[in-house]
Amino acid sequence: MSASNDGNSSPRSQLASRCFEDLLDSIIVDVASECHRIARLGLDRNLEEEEEELRLSVQARVADPSSSTEANSKNVVDIFGLTHPAIADEIFECMNCGRPIVAGRFAPHLEKCMGKGRKARKVTRSSTIARTRHSRGSPVSVYAPYSNATNSNRAPNGTTGGSGEEYADYPYGVP
Amino acid sequence: MALTRNPSFTNPDPCSHLAEYRQTHGLKGYSSLQAHLRTAPTGRTAIGKLPSLIRRCAFCSLRRGRFYLCLICSTVSCSDHAAAHAGSNPGHDIAVDVDRAELFCCRCADQVYDPDFDIAVMVKQIVKLPESRESSRCRKRRANPVNFKDGVLTEAGLGAGRAALLHTPPLKDHFLSDRHGREFCCRGRRRTRRWGMVSGELPCLACDVAGVFSEVFSGARRPYSPAQFLYSWWQHSSDLAGYEQQDAHEFFISMLDRIHEKEQPDLQNRGAGDCHCIAHRVFSGVLRSDVTCSVCGFTSTTYDPCVDLSLDLEPCNGIKSNDNSRISTLMGCLDLFTRPEKLGSDQKLYCQHCEVRQDSVKQMSIRKLPYVLCFHVKRFEHSLIRRTSKKIDQNLQFPFSLDMMPYLSSSIIRNRFGNRIFAFQGDESDMSSEFSSEFEVFAVITHSGRLESGHYVTYLRLRDQWYRCDDAWITQVTEGVVRASQVYMMYYLQKHGK
Repeated sequence: MSASNDGNSSPRSQLASRCFEDLLDSIIVDVASECHRIARLGLDRNLEEEEEELRLSVQARVADPSSSTEANSKNVVDIFGLTHPAIADEIFECMNCGRPIVAGRFAPHLEKCMGKGRKARKVTRSSTIARTRHSRGSPVSVYAPYSNATNSNRAPNGTTGGSGEEYADYPYGVP
Repeated sequence: MALTRNPSFTNPDPCSHLAEYRQTHGLKGYSSLQAHLRTAPTGRTAIGKLPSLIRRCAFCSLRRGRFYLCLICSTVSCSDHAAAHAGSNPGHDIAVDVDRAELFCCRCADQVYDPDFDIAVMVKQIVKLPESRESSRCRKRRANPVNFKDGVLTEAGLGAGRAALLHTPPLKDHFLSDRHGREFCCRGRRRTRRWGMVSGELPCLACDVAGVFSEVFSGARRPYSPAQFLYSWWQHSSDLAGYEQQDAHEFFISMLDRIHEKEQPDLQNRGAGDCHCIAHRVFSGVLRSDVTCSVCGFTSTTYDPCVDLSLDLEPCNGIKSNDNSRISTLMGCLDLFTRPEKLGSDQKLYCQHCEVRQDSVKQMSIRKLPYVLCFHVKRFEHSLIRRTSKKIDQNLQFPFSLDMMPYLSSSIIRNRFGNRIFAFQGDESDMSSEFSSEFEVFAVITHSGRLESGHYVTYLRLRDQWYRCDDAWITQVTEGVVRASQVYMMYYLQKHGK
């Protein structure tokens, strides 16, 4: 960054530029000093490997910018030499009611059958939570499918796998 | 430059001038300097205000630039004139950078290193900084709300997650070698009823998991529909709403939870790090969280177990370009994860040393790596103002070979204190011999489409060949396809692990 080149370099703007340059130099030397130490002491990351991975990824993306494989894969023969219909046609007996159901429709049927679906459900949300609290024994890892997405700024980098409060006070935040 | 990456330092050889200085003066210079070192709450050490230390070059009388304090005569020179000082005073080669407390050889005009100097600096730091306290209790934390929650997606989420779990080598080995003992599982015995439940007795999910493993690895080529498994799982997870809401990440966490519950039903353990169930032995790691008071430097450390890492996507403008700097990378996200984060002024935390609430800085790092590392990319963005949520479609570059060394607690803490040549207490335990920090990817779950209607596809690597698992279709694909995909979850296995 050079000094302002407006032709009219007043002492004040010269001073300001010099001040800025000094600050910039100071920052640069700081970073250089830190990197120098890291490099000399052998603490640096393997940049060559990282760059190689990056290059391979960029290359791959260029070669296949849209996931064109998505569209084709369902019509081809797979590695076992089989093709499959769009809706799986194996027939199962439902464990809840005993009726024969096609595999591709199994999950939606089971949902209604077990009374789990949103439409089929009769219990309110809060009673489900209360029941769950008592039946779950493990304090260790927890997942919260309905956790409210108000992140506390404190833990945006937290993980879901940690031990934690189950369902805290989250309202059932679904439109 | 060291060719191999190792956790310990490479001790660089001193230049001839430094060697000579040490021989002549020993540690006297360092000791007398120690008294004047000041450490900021950030961990950075500099030379504090000496009465005699006037920041003005003895040669040119300017107050600009870097200053170096001669170790022998305490003359202050600026960077332009440090060499001149050494020239006119034989033997006065070694100086100290006032701002960074680094040794500088005026003759070589280069920064030099001496372990004894670093020790002197560190000893001073340790004495001066308020003693940090560690607590290993499991903290109650708010569950991280970053899944595809409302309305997600399909039962495919289950399928995708399951595919990855099925091919996690240690899990596969555990279940296929019948460690679960299905024959003897008491719960399993009651499952002779076809429908309806024996009162209060849930089917054993782990038995069903083992069943799935058996079927999948039976060698049969026809597709397998895990109907029994789905039934079992929904029996267990009465809190899940059902068909519409199975996010792959939720499934993963829930599966581990169930496996854990089954194997350690009476355990009251507070730390998953101690748990020996297969789920935790494979996936459990320990995170370290340091909260440092910005005023006094007092650090409060907490350890929390985790079974995965949920990462925010690096912000990056949406313009697709081949310029490397625009791509979001996994390592960039990890850098973000372990970056010191200033907590907002509305979140002042109570500092035990100052005894008031102060502004603080928080930093995360990994205390113990799991055997299998699972990353979860937070692609879900919730806008509170608009009360809408959307999926972030940004592509994420991820390496096939990953070195987690820079994100370990030992590296992060060491960096905070200026990377001094000094063995930190607890360093050795970070890197116990059975764990290396190098990982190799073996499964990737991708999500395409929108929040409300999307599709999961899993890519698996078996014996150096990548396979695409898209519902019932399994096809071979090249590496490039996997690299180019839009990842949601990634599974890495330790290289050379036991």
